[in-house]
Amino acid sequence: MLRERIAAVARPRHTVHAHCDIPCGIYDPHGAEIGARTVARMVELINQNLGDDPNQRNQFMRCVAIKEQHAEIVKHEVRVIWGDYFKPEHVEKYPHLHDLVWRIMKQAGKCKQTVDAQAAADLQALVKEFADIFWETKGGRPQA
Amino acid sequence: MPRRSPSVAAPSRGVGDLAQARFRAGLRVGIGVAALGFALAPPLARLVRSWPLRSAVAGGSMRPTLEPGDWLLVDPRAYAARRPRPSDLVAVPDPTEPARWLVKRVVDLDADGWLELRGDNPDESTDSRIFGTVDPQSVIGRPWARYWPPHRLGLVR
Repeated sequence: MLRERIAAVARPRHTVHAHCDIPCGIYDPHGAEIGARTVARMVELINQNLGDDPNQRNQFMRCVAIKEQHAEIVKHEVRVIWGDYFKPEHVEKYPHLHDLVWRIMKQAGKCKQTVDAQAAADLQALVKEFADIFWETKGGRPQA
Repeated sequence: MPRRSPSVAAPSRGVGDLAQARFRAGLRVGIGVAALGFALAPPLARLVRSWPLRSAVAGGSMRPTLEPGDWLLVDPRAYAARRPRPSDLVAVPDPTEPARWLVKRVVDLDADGWLELRGDNPDESTDSRIFGTVDPQSVIGRPWARYWPPHRLGLVR
């Protein structure tokens, strides 16, 4: 009873928002990571040499198109985080960030041009490195 | 005098001294209490005035000054005497959604004296960079104390 009375007096009646809407706090390298994984999966399917009937050829063409598309998604997502989210103090702390982004751009291009599984794996690794830096600046990757 | 003289000389003198000593001691205590009262009155008065404006912090744009979940006292009359100035904390209605209150820091005044607000964690803050400067007349009050959680009890600035 007494505790309830005390709690009733103490409990806040208002909320003051220390808030953050767009355009901040919505950055997430997940899109880039999914893109890189998709590229790797498409390379895998393409290399399975699906066959010659029209359906299989259609499937093959789709894989190539999706590979192209998702390599572009990787580049776009990484560029947005690099250009809009990262601040000079982040670059100070991670001096190789610019070079890393540059290598991701090149690697994504290589994945468009080839069906090289190693190239796709390298792209994934670079994007993961980029995502790791992002989450380090955020104080840790959120638990899935 | 004749009534007192029958008793022994020394104690009779002592009674008068004792009374005086007691009076002095009483005076001293009284002055002490009054001084303490004067010293404590302003913070107590502020506590009483602002107790009705108990506010919980939501969101992380004021880190590390304010953490989400902090309970604050907001003095609604702090800015009656003087206008908010740079480095002051303010509670204000969200210009884009007046029913909701924001807590931000004043970082500057524009030419008309309106408030340029910023979060202490500007990377994750929606503030005057988005909604422009804020009318000082609209300010709800000044967050000045945190009373929860207990280990972070104290003044906020």
